Amino acid sequence: MELVTKYHGVREYSDEDIIVFKKGLPGFKELKKFITFPLESNNAFSILHSIEDMEVGLVLVSPFAIVKGYEVKIPDTYIKELEIKSHEEVLVLTTVTLSSNIENITTNLKAPIIINIKEKLGEQLIIDSDKYKIKEPLFKGDNN
Amino acid sequence: MLVIGRRKGESLLIGEDVEITIIKIENGSVKIAINAPKEVSILRKELYKEVTDENQRAMIFDASTLEKLKK
Repeated sequence: MELVTKYHGVREYSDEDIIVFKKGLPGFKELKKFITFPLESNNAFSILHSIEDMEVGLVLVSPFAIVKGYEVKIPDTYIKELEIKSHEEVLVLTTVTLSSNIENITTNLKAPIIINIKEKLGEQLIIDSDKYKIKEPLFKGDNN
Repeated sequence: MLVIGRRKGESLLIGEDVEITIIKIENGSVKIAINAPKEVSILRKELYKEVTDENQRAMIFDASTLEKLKK
């Protein structure tokens, strides 16, 4: 099948590629079906794209690459809902807010998107703690 | 919407599993205790709103910005 996206060209995908977010994502509650693909111009990033709305594609990054020692405790209810059986099935990504000013590019460490890559199920977790920020700078001056 | 008055120490039940008790009322702020099953998610609304806003910002895509990041 083909997905014509607004910003990321035309994407080929098949049924097995579809990740189902049964509860949607905050802000996009009505959208349940997404695909992911690496960003062509920079494959440190990936896009989580709705197949139901050609405009909705979120930029994602691996939080583990941004913050050393990043950790997420996935609640039992999520493990159940996402049918997670082993840690190898789990992919954790965080959303990226771009800015033309590189120092202002941030990622939301407080709300990781948890994906079971085997069962193709996803859900966004909100961590209610001060440990991680909603706007964590991606680049902290000295590196990059 | 149901609007209900409660005093300190009083509770209310939502469905069969959720109990909300008013613990303390002081200077325009109220402390409440919630007893609910684990699968019921409880979030401060402003936090949920912040995540909603941030998700919406994450779909603003500017390819030229990412081009700049290329090493």
